[in-house]
Amino acid sequence: MESIISHEDWKTCFAQLGPALVLFARRWTNSRADAEDVVQEAFVRFWRRQHSIENRALLYATVRSTALDRLRSDQRRARREAVAVLDGADHFEPEFAPEDEGQQLLAAAVERLPNEQREVVVMKIWNELTFAEIAGVLEISQNTAASRYRYALSALKKILQPHE
Amino acid sequence: MNDFSELEADLRKLRPTPISSDLVRRIERALVHAEEFPTAGVLPRPVNRLNGWWSFGLGLTAVAALLVIGLTFFDHPPQPQTTASVKESPAATDHALITAAPGFRPAGLTQVVYSGRDEGLVFSPNESQAPRRRLRYETRETVRWLNAQTGASVRVSYPAEQVVLTPVSFQ
Repeated sequence: MESIISHEDWKTCFAQLGPALVLFARRWTNSRADAEDVVQEAFVRFWRRQHSIENRALLYATVRSTALDRLRSDQRRARREAVAVLDGADHFEPEFAPEDEGQQLLAAAVERLPNEQREVVVMKIWNELTFAEIAGVLEISQNTAASRYRYALSALKKILQPHE
Repeated sequence: MNDFSELEADLRKLRPTPISSDLVRRIERALVHAEEFPTAGVLPRPVNRLNGWWSFGLGLTAVAALLVIGLTFFDHPPQPQTTASVKESPAATDHALITAAPGFRPAGLTQVVYSGRDEGLVFSPNESQAPRRRLRYETRETVRWLNAQTGASVRVSYPAEQVVLTPVSFQ
């Protein structure tokens, strides 16, 4: 991808990054519609500031800070969502487009992961961020990011074992 | 990590739900208002840098203004001929009206200096007095009145301008 992206290219960039960004934003929202709102605001903010689109870690950090800003904007709502969302409530709308039964099981397993592990998997698998970049986005250590990823994969294996 | 390579490959094959066309349209609309920022590249951004300096300058001016006012009023007792205050505001009228209302008493005054500029040295016509530096501050003052009986409060906020002449000594 080129360093300088013309204004017309944002659609191409967004088509590539958008689905995983929405998936990531779901960590702080209760619905896909809210997650899309967060991604819209963050992407526009990121684009207007003329950051390099190659800096995906910064894009993720922008989504994260936008989502947190929205949570903080209404304390009552924040408390309600913090309890509902961060507890990993099982009421997520489907976040994947599985093509067969195996993928369906895998998608369900990912959605059952604790949020802190799920967000690391989302950034690592669907955006290929490094652990250093993930650590920067989440403001955690690189080791913690790597550990969460390993725990997530272990958990996924366990969840999927009976079906294999 | 080799234990997980198969699982990672399976995860990569799983695709997140595609984004809605409505989201793309909304972003497109939002970006239309950002025509002045045509790229998302990594070019230097002089505009933003200027904005940063502008904010820094404003902050510095405000701090300097407060410092000067503090020094003027505490180190050297204010002299009527050195300080001139010009306030073009409805404050005086409002003050008279509200104070005249029964039960209302002044409860607080806030003054925020948001701009200050140094207008240079001022010399007296016959040079009988030492030169003075003229500083002009733009402020926003907020006066609050409270009615202790009913609990009602009235708040009036108005812009004000203050000119301060401070003596200058040359060494």
